[in-house]
Amino acid sequence: MDFGIRIKDRHMWALFVLPGVLLLVLVLGFPAITSLSYSIKPEKAGAASYTLSNYANLLKDPFFSKTFWNTAVFVFLSVASHIILGLAVAVVLNRALPARPLFRLIALLPWVVPDVVVGIIWKWMYDPIYGALNDVLLKIGFISTPVEWLSNPKLALFSVILVNLWRGFPFVMLILLAGLQAIPRHLYEAAAIDGATKIQSFFHITIPGLKKMIVVALALDIVWEVRRFGLIQAMTKGGPGVLTEVLSTYTYKQYFQFFRFEYASAIAVVMTVVLLLVSLPYIWMISQEE
Amino acid sequence: MKKIGIIGICTVVVLALFCFQPAAAEVTLRFSDWHLTEDVWNKSLNEGMAIFHKRYPNIKVTLEPVSYGEKETKYTVESAAGRAPDVFHVHAFSLPMFFGKGFAKDLTPFIEKEGPGFLDAWYPLPLKLMKHNGKIHAMPGDYMTMVLFYNTEMFKAAGLDPNKPPKTWDEFLTYAKKLTRDTNGDGKVDQWGFGTLGAKSPGFSLRFGPFIWSFGADYLTPDMKRSALDSAKAKEAFAFFVELYTKHKVVPPGLTAMGAQDVRTQLAQKKVAMILGSGWTPPIVNKINPDLKAFEVLKAAPAPMKRKQATAIWLSSWVMSPNTKHPNEAWELMKFITSKEIELKWFVDNRVTSSRKDVSGVAPEILNDKFASVLASQLPYGKVEPQIKQWPEIMDTFTTSLQEAVVGMKTPEKALAEAHERINAILAR
Amino acid sequence: MKASSFFLKEFFPKTILWVFLIALCLYCLFPFTWMLSTSLKTEAEAFRIPPTWIPLKPTVDSFIGIWVRKNFGIYFFNSTVISLATAVLSTFFGALAGYGFSRFFFKGRRFLIGFFLATQMLPGVLLVGPYFKILSRIGLYDTRTGLIIAFLTICLPFSTWMMKGFIDKVPVSMDQSAMVDGCSRMGIFFRIILPVVAPGMVATILFAFLLAWGDLLWALCITTSEPMITVTLGIARTVGEFRIIWPMLMAGSLVGGMPAIILYIFLQRLLVQGLTAGAVKG
Repeated sequence: MDFGIRIKDRHMWALFVLPGVLLLVLVLGFPAITSLSYSIKPEKAGAASYTLSNYANLLKDPFFSKTFWNTAVFVFLSVASHIILGLAVAVVLNRALPARPLFRLIALLPWVVPDVVVGIIWKWMYDPIYGALNDVLLKIGFISTPVEWLSNPKLALFSVILVNLWRGFPFVMLILLAGLQAIPRHLYEAAAIDGATKIQSFFHITIPGLKKMIVVALALDIVWEVRRFGLIQAMTKGGPGVLTEVLSTYTYKQYFQFFRFEYASAIAVVMTVVLLLVSLPYIWMISQEE
Repeated sequence: MKKIGIIGICTVVVLALFCFQPAAAEVTLRFSDWHLTEDVWNKSLNEGMAIFHKRYPNIKVTLEPVSYGEKETKYTVESAAGRAPDVFHVHAFSLPMFFGKGFAKDLTPFIEKEGPGFLDAWYPLPLKLMKHNGKIHAMPGDYMTMVLFYNTEMFKAAGLDPNKPPKTWDEFLTYAKKLTRDTNGDGKVDQWGFGTLGAKSPGFSLRFGPFIWSFGADYLTPDMKRSALDSAKAKEAFAFFVELYTKHKVVPPGLTAMGAQDVRTQLAQKKVAMILGSGWTPPIVNKINPDLKAFEVLKAAPAPMKRKQATAIWLSSWVMSPNTKHPNEAWELMKFITSKEIELKWFVDNRVTSSRKDVSGVAPEILNDKFASVLASQLPYGKVEPQIKQWPEIMDTFTTSLQEAVVGMKTPEKALAEAHERINAILAR
Repeated sequence: MKASSFFLKEFFPKTILWVFLIALCLYCLFPFTWMLSTSLKTEAEAFRIPPTWIPLKPTVDSFIGIWVRKNFGIYFFNSTVISLATAVLSTFFGALAGYGFSRFFFKGRRFLIGFFLATQMLPGVLLVGPYFKILSRIGLYDTRTGLIIAFLTICLPFSTWMMKGFIDKVPVSMDQSAMVDGCSRMGIFFRIILPVVAPGMVATILFAFLLAWGDLLWALCITTSEPMITVTLGIARTVGEFRIIWPMLMAGSLVGGMPAIILYIFLQRLLVQGLTAGAVKG
């Protein structure tokens, strides 16, 4: 493809980047500004036009701090488990195996079902009386009494995270697998000739080669897990109590159940700011190189 | 690689062609109802619409189903953009929020045109709930009470007389204990006395009402400005409910995840002997498990009481969008769906009683029906929750405390006290 | 090889490998077997306590019912069109932007990178309402295009980051040697870069496809008439006020998962095998 006009190569970046920027600004600009501006509007009609009262209420809200903490735990454990399992599976599936395409397909399956459906199905599978999970565990003797996965205060959040692990690891696995496939074979062959063990190759070739992809997967997954909504909403709606309430479900509740548009916007602003702060190192890192 | 770019562009072009939507010719009304997604209701509604179309051939009604859990989300977004359906169906307990945001049209002009006495056909309480600033902004629909449903065969098997359902909550507890047993001799309890909700859903407060009100307590003070949950009677009612699960264990495990459908399934599958339900219960239970022969085996009785008879009311309502382009036609549709003839049809087809006195109080179909007669008899004892816009938030925080008590995180006393504090904070805003 | 080193180097690792693979398969497939089992049951049997794994009265009624009684055909069409368009467009624009961020170091680059990422962090819950308002003003309310634009935009930052990550791995020397040969930037992009990052594109396309396919909130708010309903929205409707029609829910979910799987297989063939065959591997 060639363009008639001679554009300096230096300026070509615009051609590549600007379409995306334009799209984002046009489509999300108005919604973003509207919803953010709601956060400084007062809840009570008739008070001042702009106020920080919503943020003040956030600080006073006993549920908000619990929700925040839950979100942190949820995201941390989900992302960590995704990376660990995703990496393990990617490494295994990168090897020469019989029926490898089939295994790759199976590993992808949990990702294929929509969040909401996964939530509904797992909620049922977790049911103490007629859930499939307890049924199987009882039959093979793993447990002797039905476990209350979603009702036991000690288990509730972890039960949700477990489902999220099942549902989310294929995403990380796919990215890491693509990254693994980009590591040239001859590096391993050279190492083998030099007498390196598999473990040594893993730590000295694989991991460094994957470093960038791991960081990409990490950053994307963190943002993605903070936004995770349908899964949790369908399974527990944030209950019991506020044990599984996360920022996304809390915002939804405030907006669509309590009709507190202004307060919900304030929560969203906080969410966005926190996420930005968390990803600042990442932004710094990826714009640093070369 | 160019191929992918070209495919992409072609896709966009093809899609653009699909977006062309032909304009409507005659008056078209958009009607939305979650019942359209239920088999139980769908047929009946479609028949009703066919009758309407025969009478008003120039009005076309497009039906927009919406799933039960998503309806508030959808109507909120649509209303905020001025694009809500012309007529839509909501719970009466959502009304304060819709009214507060101006999402419901004032129906007074239409009612006045119908002549004096038009509203006399309805029970007073439903009408009161339709009012915003003294004016009617919605029309009442289904009106039912929560009553006790029980399985007569399980009663007999436990040595209880199926014709003597429990009348007081204390009696109820005794019955429930007897009905919680191991039926197959394997040493594990597999049948419980009472099934109830514990999940955060609108159905929860419907089933808690008979507890708190018949104990003589209430959620808020009469002026609805403060929480009344610090009264001794409120504490009693709360503790009684929580202890059914934690102490007496007459409720199946996993309570906080139980929604209305789970409870009905428990009844259908003979896992519980008693539940609180309403007109929709027998047909649904029957659909879940035809082998149970729900209509024969189940019986209805007034909800048990402590100090006075009181039960919760279920009320649905029809709202007209303030942005409707055809208010007069929309009114005809609303009038039709709430007319005596059609309200009776809703009962006959779906077993829901009506907010019209000239149907629920009088129709032989209702008075002779084993279940509906009990429902109707309880209407005078029906109470409704405070109709304020903070109510969903208050109920959510109350349920949070209840769940914390039920799973043993806090004692009922402490949990209720915290709910009391938080509710006061909400009301003070 | 000595027997013990054979055990350590060959047999033991291989056994662990296979144990791991089998465990993985069980882990991934367990809920699907439950879904399949339930989808073949009658509604009453789906509620049995204790649950049965092999249906006592197997029936394909649900699989037929979703097409015949519930308009699954229309939902399928809508979802496929919307998700494919989102996938292709967002990956394309994402690759473009990813390349731009990877190869060029212009003023404001860091800011734009941050900007892209920041747009990801706004929760959809708040954006839906105002977006819906815009759509209805320009007449795209209740259309597939309206949904495509929404998903495309939500997906774009993710696609950009994924593609940038993959493009970064392609050595700049390849670009430079192509430029020396007289190739334009666009030419480099299409003929050199994209083929090499094909495996990464698979992940990106699939991600975008699934994001659009599995969405409920936007589809719920932006579409309303029956001809526009998506599969996920249709499945959500089986969760009624009164009861969940489990067999239908499961059948719908299983069938609904098929396109993504087919897409993946197709992408593997087309992109990875077909294109990398012609590319030069670093």
